[in-house]
Amino acid sequence: MNIRTPKDWELPESAVTDEAIYRLRNRRDFLKTLGVGLTGAALGTRGLLAAAAGFPDKENPLYPAASLKPTAYNFITSYNNFYEFGTGKDDPVVYANKGWKPDPWTVEIAGLVRAPAKFAVNDLVAKLGGIEQRVYRHRCVEAWSMVVPWDGFPLAKLVALADPKPEAKFLKFTSFLDPKNAVGQQDSHFGWPYVEGLRLDEATNELAFIATGIYGKAIPNQNGAPLRLVTPWKYGFKGIKSIVKIEFTDRVPSNTWQRLAPDEYGFYANVNPQVDHPRWSQSSERVIGGGIFAGRQPTLMFNGYEKQVAALYKGLDLTRNF
Amino acid sequence: MVDAIPTPRASLPEKLLRSKAFVCTLIVLPGLWPAWPLFISRNPSVLADPLKYVLHHLGFLACVLLATVLSFTPLRVIFPQSKLALALNRHRRLVGVSAFTYAALHLATHLVYEGGFGVLASDVKKPFLVTGLIAFTILLTLAVTSLNRLVRALGAKHWKWLHRLAYVAAALAAYHQSAARKVFPMQVLWIFVPLALLEIIRIGIRWRHSGVHKIT
Repeated sequence: MNIRTPKDWELPESAVTDEAIYRLRNRRDFLKTLGVGLTGAALGTRGLLAAAAGFPDKENPLYPAASLKPTAYNFITSYNNFYEFGTGKDDPVVYANKGWKPDPWTVEIAGLVRAPAKFAVNDLVAKLGGIEQRVYRHRCVEAWSMVVPWDGFPLAKLVALADPKPEAKFLKFTSFLDPKNAVGQQDSHFGWPYVEGLRLDEATNELAFIATGIYGKAIPNQNGAPLRLVTPWKYGFKGIKSIVKIEFTDRVPSNTWQRLAPDEYGFYANVNPQVDHPRWSQSSERVIGGGIFAGRQPTLMFNGYEKQVAALYKGLDLTRNF
Repeated sequence: MVDAIPTPRASLPEKLLRSKAFVCTLIVLPGLWPAWPLFISRNPSVLADPLKYVLHHLGFLACVLLATVLSFTPLRVIFPQSKLALALNRHRRLVGVSAFTYAALHLATHLVYEGGFGVLASDVKKPFLVTGLIAFTILLTLAVTSLNRLVRALGAKHWKWLHRLAYVAAALAAYHQSAARKVFPMQVLWIFVPLALLEIIRIGIRWRHSGVHKIT
């Protein structure tokens, strides 16, 4: 019997049963092996299958946010902002699957760390103890939202592995550069490759996560295969996709959207219903998959993760540091 | 006015462009397009937020039709001999009122999209919404004053001045369309740059012929 205490950020599993079929098929071999080998062994037979798919064993009836339900898999994987493959929401699902290969993939850990290294993704996941699953809210700066069951590992584990030096204060993330296979990168105006950054204490917050899968399947190309940052209390553009390098540094890294429009997008990009985008309100959001008459739902401070992250920003003027 | 007597041997394109039914079809069919991804191909990228797709599509069509109707006069000035330009100019009111109709559907969709007037009211200070609403108000005014009775009541001179507001509406619509998205949408250029070029050429022609004969 596997008894575990649910974390505050855990969303219920109640609504994902119809996607259950997905979880048990089509996984990348390495994830299956890792999931079963590392996590599954501790959970017994019923847990084994679920763990192989990266999901917690059963639904948690105690968690209060029962109204939240994961967005359907085909919406999560066909409504994407991944400008490397075009600016339309429907572009990435097409153009990220035309010749661009995120496998094999190497990620470099560099900068102010005691253990700089380059890892093949599979080796990194193995070294960090396998994958786990987390259902997070996802709020785009364009005022729409989803609920995504991610598979992956806490970023804090990777930070611990890198062993940052005392002077390291920030993480700078860099995505890939491949204009030949990523059509969107042929538009140089964006200043590719995509870069993002986090404060070290943000990166080691329990919520910060690196995704390797969705709904128990290997993360699709259009969602940022094979490694994608997930910071659910921040707007989606902070979640840099297809990471090739994580550099520890002592100065604030710039991020692509801030470079493009510094008056509209900041370094922090924390979800905040009180601070509007200069061109539209952030006080509410459209829920993807809600259908035509879904209307909007109110946006929550830090996207509903105030309890976990508010302390990080104590004393910070969130209107100026947007 | 443009009531040229049809030549006995009008070409097929000219016949088609003169036909109200044909032009109506050209205007209505694109409005039905969203039925394809919504109900037939069931495109998940569209179904993820179907109303957003409809909203953008209707706004896009309103912009296209507005730019189209504004291009009719310059086309006639630049190609005075062209029967096609002449044929198009028969449909100025139809195309103009259609632009208004799509704009009205776009605004109605926006209200459903925002779940009522609440967000519109709180967001009304945002430039992209203000410009959209002003552009709509202009189109509404022009649509209403295109009724025969009101055209006569206003008198040709006043009517013409009033209807020059369509250019203001086009400029506002171009801004509105480009500010509604995270990045500048290239379609704004495809829609409005050709119109701007036509207008520049038309002004050049008028300037050269100024005092000789006036065309509007």
